[in-house]
Amino acid sequence: MSKNTVSDRFRKVDVDEYDENKFVDEDDGGENQAGPDDAEVDALLRQGNMNAALQAVLKNPPINTKNQSAKERAELLVVKVLSSFKSSDIEKAVGSLDQAAVDLLMKYIYRGFESPNDNSSAVLLQWHEKALAVGGVGSIVRVLTARKTI
Amino acid sequence: MSPPQTATLRPYLNAVKATLQAALCLENFSSQVVERHNKPEVEVRSSKELLLQPVVISRNDKEKVLIEGSINSVRVSIAVKQADEIEKILCHKFMRFMMMRAENFFILRRKPVEGYDINVQTQAGGLRHPLHGGDRQGDQRDETVR
Repeated sequence: MSKNTVSDRFRKVDVDEYDENKFVDEDDGGENQAGPDDAEVDALLRQGNMNAALQAVLKNPPINTKNQSAKERAELLVVKVLSSFKSSDIEKAVGSLDQAAVDLLMKYIYRGFESPNDNSSAVLLQWHEKALAVGGVGSIVRVLTARKTI
Repeated sequence: MSPPQTATLRPYLNAVKATLQAALCLENFSSQVVERHNKPEVEVRSSKELLLQPVVISRNDKEKVLIEGSINSVRVSIAVKQADEIEKILCHKFMRFMMMRAENFFILRRKPVEGYDINVQTQAGGLRHPLHGGDRQGDQRDETVR
């Protein structure tokens, strides 16, 4: 072999990393999204104001943070609120939400399915049915195609 | 007090049905990595932008369905309820029986995903030609003829 072919470091370069068209998930800050406020939601639950508790718990979703504990806390809180509804009230509660909130509710429902405990899945299935009636298959599609998960 | 088991069956099946309806939106998509190849992206997982969020629907902690979608393929993993040892053995044997004959089933995967009992996987071409089962290069020709 001649002298000018001694270095073969170029072979170890991963060319795909430098591809301009390579897809990268955008990373917007969102460090301020700490998830729904525990105290506020608990207070509303104790008062028995279910619809307001639902609205409150769907505020500030921890979508952009990488903080896993914030996401878990938010999910537990949402499941707690959803479990404290009576079956007959679910439909009305879902009806009071707007499109974006229904999508967010669907996201939380699917997130809740991932960690089933005691009765949570049964409750979530009821909520899923009602949310589906309002949001349609489109709300599920928006859960599947979301790049950032709650 | 938890509701009787049968009460959750209908909602569970309906939830799975609706989610499948959303996830089974597939189109033929050739591999971006290798030319003239057509691979199920949900298995290859070569590019992030082609994959959908995996979603779980659970009836309780023992029974659940995991649905992973992508642009041209969907993988459905099912965890079947196994109450005791004998049911575990029966389930394992039955699933093994079916998975060994996966070639004849077309949509079965030969090995279940970790944590689940059986997998159903389908590709865009397979949905359009249920008799032939599976994507064929002829599909691209069909599109231009039409």
